[in-house]
Amino acid sequence: MSYLAIKLTLAVFATFGLYSVLYRETRFYRFFEHIYLGLAAGYTLVATWKDTLYTEWWIKMLGKTDVSADGVATVASNGFWIYSILAPIGLMGYMVFSKKHNWMSKIPIGIILGIWSGQQLEVWWNTYGPQIYSSALPVIPTTWSFVPAQPVAGELYASQALTNAIFIFTLISAFSYFLFSFELKGKFLTGLNTMGRWMLMIGFGAIFGSTVMARFALVIDRMSYIWNEWLQGAILGGS
Amino acid sequence: MTIWEKLQAVDRRILYLILAVCVSAGLFITIEIPTDPDPSSRDLYQAIMDIPEGKTVIIQSDWTNSTRGESMGHFENLLRLLMSRNLKFVFYSAADPIAPQVARTTLARIIKERKDEGLYEYQIGEDYIDLGYFANAEATNLNMGIDLRNAWSGKRTKKAGAGEISIWESPVLKDVRKIEDAGMMIVVTASASIDVAVQRLNKKVSIGAMVTGVVGPTVLPFYQAKQVNGVAVGLKGVYDLEYCMANGVNLKDEDGNIKVLNKGGKEYPKITEGKTLARGSKYYGTLHIALILLILAVVLGNVGMAMSRKKPGAKRS
Repeated sequence: MSYLAIKLTLAVFATFGLYSVLYRETRFYRFFEHIYLGLAAGYTLVATWKDTLYTEWWIKMLGKTDVSADGVATVASNGFWIYSILAPIGLMGYMVFSKKHNWMSKIPIGIILGIWSGQQLEVWWNTYGPQIYSSALPVIPTTWSFVPAQPVAGELYASQALTNAIFIFTLISAFSYFLFSFELKGKFLTGLNTMGRWMLMIGFGAIFGSTVMARFALVIDRMSYIWNEWLQGAILGGS
Repeated sequence: MTIWEKLQAVDRRILYLILAVCVSAGLFITIEIPTDPDPSSRDLYQAIMDIPEGKTVIIQSDWTNSTRGESMGHFENLLRLLMSRNLKFVFYSAADPIAPQVARTTLARIIKERKDEGLYEYQIGEDYIDLGYFANAEATNLNMGIDLRNAWSGKRTKKAGAGEISIWESPVLKDVRKIEDAGMMIVVTASASIDVAVQRLNKKVSIGAMVTGVVGPTVLPFYQAKQVNGVAVGLKGVYDLEYCMANGVNLKDEDGNIKVLNKGGKEYPKITEGKTLARGSKYYGTLHIALILLILAVVLGNVGMAMSRKKPGAKRS
């Protein structure tokens, strides 16, 4: 059995192990669950050091020396020792586990919160500004025909106007559902509020449907892994 | 006990078994489902095809094996598309330390696939760069927007015949000084990292998204507001892109029919080298079988419940 076949066979065992929870939670399932968690945690630790801390912090702090083929060392980048103060600040976060010194953990948390909060105004506007702007859509058509194969620029066709109208109605009615500052009275406002609830439910239904499809995709892929990649590809030696 | 009552009491494990059998059977039956690609998927294809030659593409690959069913298809399509256009790219992850390795494995497989087909074999350091993992998506994307060379400083890449070199000496990034110099940024994600990319970078670089069905509904408002130039959502998005790759957009086939129509839009060619219809087309038919099974189970369950209630003396809950 080739190395690839052994590797894929182990992965198939792991798949069966993790899916066995559908039958019942057993030691077989827990064994693979713990392997998965251990591997993920170990890999994360190494990847964080190798890809992030080493290149973005350690090298910048110590600097780098290049050695040429004839053994002459030259400074590739200077070390910035100011980076060394980041380590104690970061480690203070772990003081949260100490009853006596847990106040120290608030220092890095405060720095992170401060930086994060300072960015939120711009972040909020970058997220929602264009969406608010793009919600102002025209609803009165310039022509009563449907969109032809070659639409004329600047024309708003009836079907486009109808789509825009449905969008605007959904937006306003869904907003009205969240009006809690005053009591909604009258047929118009209560009707709009009810429609808002309906629109939200339809939206949630669509999101749920999309989620179900995503879950099915996972099962399909696992089955494909077992039948196509492992059995056909590695064991039977097909394509 | 009537048949309807028996249906109400079916062990859930039998349903799981039926699902596994039906899905497995579906993988062995080739069903070509005709589709009308979503405008968001079509726009993503067009945006990638519009990237000027010689530009480098930035790929933020934030998916792992937990969403392999959808995200791997997205990533494979993206690689096939970029390679068919001879575009250079860099990839990294800002969401999960495991993500770069998953991307590396997929990339190696696509490179081998192309090699077996006699197509150009992409080389590390020459055609693509692997930047690994960046902790903290917010800080990473923010830095990339402010000073790309500083954000990626210290990163090195292997290059055939040259050992290890600075990424900025590589042909992939030698002409890229700031993020605006990139041809496009494409985020393949199963999380909200696309939100962070849009918040920090959408004014500086054209962004495309390839997301899972779970994340899709939160990304579509970005597409509607033109904050991203195209989105492929879930397995449908994978198949949509493959369909565009196989048929082009506004492109007439031998019979004079246009399979992917974008009214008023320009003509986009189909991909003529390498695979086009692949994982998406294989899984899409199977997805339909699974969905039919789901609908059948829901209908039978409801009919069974209604019929059991009709039985004289039955309790109404």
